[in-house]
Amino acid sequence: MSGSWMTTRAWLLMLPLLVVMISVIGWPLVDTVRLSFTDAKLVGTQGNFVGFDNYAKMLSGSNFQRTLITTTWFAVISVAAEMVLGVLAALLLNQQFRGRALLRALMILPWALPTVVNATLWRLIYNPEYGALNAALTQIGLLEAYRSWLGEPNTALTALIVADCWKNFPLVALIALAALQAVPRDITAASLVDGAGPINRFRFVILPYLAGPLMVALVLRTIEAFKVFDIIWVMTRGGPANSTRTLSILVYQEAFSFQRAGSGASLALIVTLLVTVLAVAYAALVRKVAGSTA
Amino acid sequence: MSALEIQNIRKSYGAIETLKGIDIALQSGEFLVLLGSSGCGKSTLLNIIAGLAEATSGDIRIGDRSILGVHPKDRDIAMVFQSYALYPNLSVRRNIGFGLEMRKVPVAERDKAVQEAARLLQIEALLDRKPNQLSGGQRQRVAIGRALVRKPQVFLFDEPLSNLDAKLRLEMRTELKRLHQMLRTTVVYVTHDQIEAMTLATRIAVMKDGRIEQLGTPEEIYNRPATLYVAGFVGAPPMNILDVTVRGGALEVAGSDVAIPLPARYAAIGDGARLSLGIRPEALRLATENVAGLSLPATVEVVELTGPELITTARIGGQKLIACLAPRARISEGENHRFAFDEEALRLFDPKTGKACEVSS
Ligand SMILES: Nc1ncnc2c1ncn2[C@@H]1O[C@H](COP(=O)(O)OP(=O)(O)OP(=O)(O)O)[C@@H](O)[C@H]1O
Ligand SMILES: [Mg+2]
Repeated sequence: MSGSWMTTRAWLLMLPLLVVMISVIGWPLVDTVRLSFTDAKLVGTQGNFVGFDNYAKMLSGSNFQRTLITTTWFAVISVAAEMVLGVLAALLLNQQFRGRALLRALMILPWALPTVVNATLWRLIYNPEYGALNAALTQIGLLEAYRSWLGEPNTALTALIVADCWKNFPLVALIALAALQAVPRDITAASLVDGAGPINRFRFVILPYLAGPLMVALVLRTIEAFKVFDIIWVMTRGGPANSTRTLSILVYQEAFSFQRAGSGASLALIVTLLVTVLAVAYAALVRKVAGSTA
Repeated sequence: MSALEIQNIRKSYGAIETLKGIDIALQSGEFLVLLGSSGCGKSTLLNIIAGLAEATSGDIRIGDRSILGVHPKDRDIAMVFQSYALYPNLSVRRNIGFGLEMRKVPVAERDKAVQEAARLLQIEALLDRKPNQLSGGQRQRVAIGRALVRKPQVFLFDEPLSNLDAKLRLEMRTELKRLHQMLRTTVVYVTHDQIEAMTLATRIAVMKDGRIEQLGTPEEIYNRPATLYVAGFVGAPPMNILDVTVRGGALEVAGSDVAIPLPARYAAIGDGARLSLGIRPEALRLATENVAGLSLPATVEVVELTGPELITTARIGGQKLIACLAPRARISEGENHRFAFDEEALRLFDPKTGKACEVSS
């Protein structure tokens, strides 16, 4: 009885949000699904129904496969590095020292900057003529001649990963730092009395409290990294020789650069599906981890 | 040689001095309880003994060596915390054996020690559980087990029972007493529960504002409190304190025309002295008709039956007098009664210094 009017009220309260959601997410999504079964050239046009042709073409094409590998590599390496760097930074910033508060505030800066600013900054650092990286490496003697870090297919992706890490490790650090505050002081004290060294203390005292939040960070970051677009678009546009082309870049190129809205849409849906699978798998993992340390 | 010696320990946090010179020497096998209200520095002192905090000055010796600057793990102490502080993702078995595991004690030996401790604490059936599958009382047993297996020189307990409910607390208190009687290890135990202190301690150090108010056996603390603070802190309800004046070999209760003879042991106190007279509520009883001996007349205001006793609040010359009487005492609000007591139950304090008056033997 009271349940039913509660439910009605809940729906009423959510109605405005639902309207907005349906019009900005629901409708475009439906239209994308429709487009993906057509040979439309431009987004917003009708096109002819072609069934699963777009999907078959995309999935079997070498572009897609190569891009999937590039994306996976980008996501795995940058997220792994961000996790390690983030945890290390959090452990350091959890120590008592002068200027800790300032450093904690500064650390968040790369993440707080707009991606475009961050990407532009790194383009300057990697600049083949006057970039700081070339200057630094030649000055300490690690490099003979200046290189075009973003211009060579074998270094561009790594350079991008470094830039992405620098931007995103603060988020992991922030989450880890918050988790570290939750480690009970008494347990740390007990481990000291029990004679646990730094490594055992990390394993048995800190990690149980870090695992859950880190898992959340891992989920967030992996999904984000898998969808990466902006930083790459600003720094390399997927080049050189498509060496930094990720799935999102490919979607953009298909739909807008090559004006193949139909196959672009099918690709977008494939990426969406992949990310959804990731998200669901991770959600299950998070529940498991959270359950085991509660 | 003392088992544990605390020498003039001071501790400051910034400009605030938390411990203001603590001196205690414990014989091996003693059970010292640090008793005091919240914030008086009990935990700080315990942490300094454990090596979890550093003293600003002073020395701590275990056996015959100073342990200042020694890492907590090398101090030969084990500690039990109020919050149990178990390792959340280790089984009970590994929790108990953790200290031994970290010290690279062989598995077989470790298992034996864990079994033994689990048997003593009656938690053998729980060895394969995780801490989050245990009740509060069971967790505290595990925490005690973790300390036991280490066989340290000194056990440190920081309010180990205060997260338990009243019934369990009573049970664990008895359990701790039994363990101490069996193991005879030196213990330093922090609590603000005076019953715990009275029942467990061989000696109690009553602390106030970073100082020791009195260090003595439970019997001394209870019967011969050295200061008004101790008199008021120990005992429930606390000791009655009445303003009195010494005049002509008698104690006149302020605000009334009641006077009682000055006990002989206080004969040295001069005429005219304004003092505080202390008498335990338990020392008072209802006087019978023809009074022989000492008594105080008072008007009964409130009578509360707690079960085992009848707590009577009365007034004498505007001052409050609480008596713990037998539950069947015939007394009710508004009546005037005489409360009798023995001369030995009287304690006199100097209200200016808060200290007990000297007794001449
Ligand atoms: N790290 C610290 N920095 C500053 N002051 C502190 C610190 N630790 C403790 N203190 C202060 O020292 C005093 C004593 O603290 P302590 O924890 O020893 O009290 P306690 O007697 O154990 O109290 P409780 O019964 O509440 O546990 C308190 O006033 C507290 O505010
Ligand atoms: Mg404390």
